[in-house]
This record gives sequence, structure tokens and C-alpha cells, in this order.
Amino acid sequence: MASPVVLSPRPNPPGAKVDPVAARSKALAILASSNKATRSPAVAPAASTPKDGDLDLAEQMNDDVRRQFVSGKRLGEGTYAIVYAGHYRHNPDALVAIKKIKFNAEFKDGIAMDAIREIKFLSELTHPNIIKLHAVFSTKDQNLSLVLEHLPLGDLEGLWKNRKLTYSGADIKAWANMLCQAIWFCHENYVLHRDIKGNNLLIAADGTVKLADFGLARSFADPGRPMTSNVITRFYRPPELLYGCYHYGGAVDMWSVGCVIAELAIRNFFLASETDIGQLATICDHFGTPTEENWPSVSTLRYYVAPSQQPGIQKGSTAAKMGKPASWWRGTFPLLGEDGVDLIRGMLAMDPKKRLTAKQALEHRYWTALPRPTKKEKLPKDAGGEAKAAEDLKRKGGETPANGRADKVARKLDFASMG
Amino acid sequence: MSKQPTRANGASTKRLAEDGGASPLSKSLHGLSLQHASRPPAVADSSSDICPVCKSSRYLNPNMQFKVNPECYHKMCESCVDRIFSHGPAPCPIAGCARTLRKAKFRRQTFEDLKVEREVDIRRRVAGAMNKKEEDFETLMDYNDYLEQVEEITWNLILKVDVEATEGRLRRWEDHQKAELNPNARRREFDSSVPTDHVVLKKGATQRKTAAPASTPQTIANEMNEDIGFKFHGLKKRVAPPPEAPFDPFGGWSIAPQYYVLQDDYEVDWLTNQKNDVKHSVGGYDMRDFYNRSLREAFGGFGVFIEDEINARGTPSLDPHVGTKQAASVAVGARDVNMDDVF
Repeated sequence: MASPVVLSPRPNPPGAKVDPVAARSKALAILASSNKATRSPAVAPAASTPKDGDLDLAEQMNDDVRRQFVSGKRLGEGTYAIVYAGHYRHNPDALVAIKKIKFNAEFKDGIAMDAIREIKFLSELTHPNIIKLHAVFSTKDQNLSLVLEHLPLGDLEGLWKNRKLTYSGADIKAWANMLCQAIWFCHENYVLHRDIKGNNLLIAADGTVKLADFGLARSFADPGRPMTSNVITRFYRPPELLYGCYHYGGAVDMWSVGCVIAELAIRNFFLASETDIGQLATICDHFGTPTEENWPSVSTLRYYVAPSQQPGIQKGSTAAKMGKPASWWRGTFPLLGEDGVDLIRGMLAMDPKKRLTAKQALEHRYWTALPRPTKKEKLPKDAGGEAKAAEDLKRKGGETPANGRADKVARKLDFASMG
Repeated sequence: MSKQPTRANGASTKRLAEDGGASPLSKSLHGLSLQHASRPPAVADSSSDICPVCKSSRYLNPNMQFKVNPECYHKMCESCVDRIFSHGPAPCPIAGCARTLRKAKFRRQTFEDLKVEREVDIRRRVAGAMNKKEEDFETLMDYNDYLEQVEEITWNLILKVDVEATEGRLRRWEDHQKAELNPNARRREFDSSVPTDHVVLKKGATQRKTAAPASTPQTIANEMNEDIGFKFHGLKKRVAPPPEAPFDPFGGWSIAPQYYVLQDDYEVDWLTNQKNDVKHSVGGYDMRDFYNRSLREAFGGFGVFIEDEINARGTPSLDPHVGTKQAASVAVGARDVNMDDVF
């Protein structure tokens, strides 16, 4: 049969000579295995022929997948999931991380929403900068296990928190580029990640940054369908979500990306606050108060209060803040240089329509200007290791680690309002 | 620690240096030319505890430390070095030497025997400049010839034969090597002549006119048949690594629709409401994303053949550089080969 050279909707991976058939089938193999696993025994097809004992076809297929993996020592446990180290049975050198999602009392009649989202989007996205989902299977007690890529070098937050580590502007550029590529790929495939933060950017053995935790991801909404505004960890949440916007696009992720890059440059949380209101105040301190002039029709947003109507302000005075001057930006982010500051300011534009899209961000001159991004193999690596990665994997989307500054940032998820 | 074992070590090192020389010729030369060879070791031992400059002894000053300067290898105590050289370069206080020494160059000696110390220094310097490997030569014969030549240079310096000329050649060779490794540095040097020309220009245009044409052909000629110090037969020309391709921020990926052309806007009745809805536009919701997505999903099945996928199913794909045990152990810093074990 004729084999198509390039497929329209699918991305062309680097090196167009890669056999398209192989690449395609790789993606589908995962899909197939996850399909097998997610199908519960109760909805087994009627046509299945029971071969041995009581096992129907679905159970057999599930067992086949499960038998491919050997689970090893436990790396970490959270309220939501347990993470084990593991490897392929046929090849003990092929390592994986097995994330076993605990049976959840809240979701008696099905699978937790996070797991569904994660499986759905990870099986669709195959990119070097996105965590790879090898397979999904269930065990006897109806627990769901996700077989994920083995990422032993911790996460981006661990990198800047590790005071023993020094890194340069070129290293930041390399990490930022990998992050931007991951986000661009998600958006090109119409997936909103909605929980980008240093904790969710894990580092593979070769130094590649991989976007993980698709527990809050969803695809772009159809026009007229509201989405919840209660997503994205607070430090990384853009102003339109803080104002309670129902209809948004990829711009919300770009704000988070800007925050993560800024964080890497200053080695601290960039826009940190204890409450949602406080978060808005912090944002306004840095970028100025949004008004109808610089963000048209911002006053239509649910929680927007014009500066003149804010309580505690004398009547008639406009309390609009000015935002930080350009010199402050240059002084605060010396590691990024002029171009880098221009890039993150583009990503951190208050008005989402003026914010850079992922594609525009990748076309920015920052990437091609000197210094050239560090090669993967030369990047500094010491971000907490396997245990830290397990710590990140076992979390539910939107949760933050239970120690340190971000304690109170954890946020309740409101699934009812999610479109 | 007592002094006895160190002395024994020093003696053995000396013997090794004398007996284990490169060739019989060099061995005899070595014995002939070293200036202090006649001094009996016993005398050196007893005097080693008295500073030859200030004559203070270790008996009076137990903390006394001796230092040497690689310029002339004359030994003196630390306080003498401080006293004489603190205010800048000064001549060596040992009678008959009078070389100008600098305080920064003084250091503690590594070897008991100063001849060994000097030889090691010279060998290190020559090895730094003459760092070709066997791969750099056409044949093993050429490499061996090269090694012999290097040894000759080393012995010239050690025995103080033709020191000026050899040093000059060595320096030219070093410059040549540096220029070959980093051609940009060379170019920069060349450019630095421009400002001096500029100064001349300010004085008078005529002066510059005469100066400029004269200098350029000369430098070009210099580069053409430049004396690089040494010529080695069979030395391969260094191949500069190919210049790196410009960085691709997209990592080589591209996504472009093939089966449809996307318009900026579509006139559809059931979308007009949303299109003009402020609530959609204010939060950054882009209708074009929706158009593009709808089209892509509509054409998404083109070029997908289930048959191929069934055939390729069940072969787990794994990047050998990422998900394997080897990669993990390398990343964590575990050593898989024990380099310490010689046997």
C-alpha cells in the first residue's frame, strides 16, 4: 500500500527522514494500550470470546500490558498516588516510573478526573519535551497505574532552589526554550496545560526538560462553552483568571511560562502572594493597574473593580499604579539580557490579546541572539533527583508540596464548573 | 615526620634522573654540564638548614621555609624573599647571579634536588607547547621522529644549548598553535592596528597614505611564509570542526496544515454571537484557534492507516539516551568503571 510521506495534521518531528510509519505507530501503540486499560471489565465487548477461565478479552489485554512491566522500589507516596520505580520485563535496563493512582473515595463510580485528563492528553502528545506515557493498566483492586517516563533528575524549581548550583544566562535560555517548545506543541494540538510551574517541569537523565502533570489540562473550549477560572497554581495565575474570566485561550499558559523563566533568572518566586486578591495586587505592582485604555473591556470581567471604585481610596482619585520602569526590569533580570527581558515582558502582558503566543515566543530574537543556549549534555544538573521527581508525580494537579513557602497555595478544585 | 625518609627519596629520585635518562648521549651530557654536580650531598644536607642569604639557621628559627625562583633556582628563606622582593623586582642576592627576580614567582620546591626541579619545569613547559598525539601524524614513524625532536628541544633547554634560539622557535610554534585553534583572536589582533593608523591620520593625511600601503603587503607576506618555529614531517593539517548550525528554537519541529487553507474569518450564522461577544475576546479567547482546530480535526484522519499501526503495535519504543539505566547512572554520577584499579 502507498505510504503517505507527511501527514497533514501531525507534526513533522526533527529530521524529516524519520520513517513516518514508525513514528505514527509508536503513538498509536500507546493509545491502544491505554485504551485497553481504561476499558473497565464491566463494559467488555459482547463479542469477546472467553479464552481462559473467567477472563474476558479486556482483562486479558490489560494483563498483557501489566505483565510488560516490573515494579520496583517505592519512590514516594502522596494522598493521590504512589510512585514506584520500575522497568520493562523484557529489558531491565529500560526504566520507567509507575504512578499508581489510589482508589479515591470521592470518585466511587469511576476514575478520578485528573487521571482521565492525564491519560487522555499524554497519550495524544508525543514530543521530546513532554513526559512520555508508556502505557496504562489497572490492577485487581481497580487501581489505575500510569507507566511514565523515568526522569531521575528532579525539577526546575529544585534547580533554582539548590544554592550549591550556579548557572548562567545560556543555561536559562536552554531550559526556557525546552519549556516553550513543550507549550507550543501543546497549543498547536489544542491542549491547554493550565498548571505550568517549576514543579511540573521534570528533568530527564540527559538534561531535557519535560512538561509533566496534565491533571488540569483540557482541550481548547468551543465558543460559548465556559471554562473554570479556578486553575493554575496562584503564583503563576494570569490576571484574566484572577478576574474570573470564563473564556480564555493559550495566553493563560504563556503567563505561567513567563513566570517560570523569571523565576529561573532571579532564583526566587517571581509573583508570590498568599491570597488571590494579594496576587492581583502583586501583579498590579509590577505591571500597573489594568484599565479600559490598556486592556479594552476589562471592566466586563466578573471580579474587576476599577481603581476609582476600590474601597479605601478617596473619591475622585485614580489609584492606577504605574508598574515598574524598564530600568527595574533590566536590573532585576541581568541573566536574561535585553532580549530576554523583552521576551518575558511580552509573555507577561496584562492584556491576553497582547501577550505573545507560544509560536510568537519561539520566533523571538532572544533564542537566536548570543549567548547560544547551552547544549543539553552541558547543562548543570542537580535538582533533587529521583525522589524529587516522585514527589512531583504523586501530586494531584494544582497541589503544591506541603512544606515551605507555597503551603497555602493549594487550591480546591471545583470540577462541577469545569467545562 | 622525620627528615630521613624524604632525604632517601630525594636521593633515589636523583639517581633515577641520572640513570634513567633518554639516551646514553644525553646521560653523559647531563653528567657533564650540570653546574652543581660536583657538590657532595653531605654538604648540601647540612647547609640546607641555613639560609645562604641571611645565614639564619633552622635551629634559631624552626618555622623557617625555603623558596626558590624558577628564574635561577637559588634557594633562600621566606623572610629574605619578603625583605628583598617586597618592593618590586630586585636582583638575586646570591653572589654571581644578579638575575632580576620577582616575588610572585617564588615558590616552595617540590623536589629535594633543584636540578630535578628545573628539569621537571622545563619538561612541563615543552610538553605544554608540543602536545601532538599519534593520531595527528600520518605514520607511526613520523610520530616517533616528532617525539625525538621534542626530546632534543627539551635537552637543549635543560643543558642550556642554544637556549635563545630554541626559546624563540618554541614561542613562535606556540603562537602558531594558538592562532590555528582560535582564528578569531588572530583577526582581532590584526584589527588592532587600525586605531594606530587613525592617530597618524589625525596628524596628516599624507603620512597615513604612505604608511598604509606599506604595512598591508608586508603583513600579508609575513603570513604567507611565516616562520612557525618547527616543521614536522607527516603532521596532518588540523581540520577545524564544522561551524555549528544556527540554533533552531523549534527544535526541528514544524506543524503546517497540508490539506486545507485556513482563513482568518468564517461567516457562519451560529458563530456571530460569540464572535462579537466581549466576554470571549477580553480573556484572550481566539476564534481562529477554534477554526483551525475544527479544520484539523475534520482532516485529521487523512493519511492514517490502521493496518500499519496494528503491525507496529507491541514494540515498545525507547530512546536509549533517556529512559535507560545507563543514562540514569551517568546522570546521577555513578561510576560504572573503576578507573583506580590498575591491574
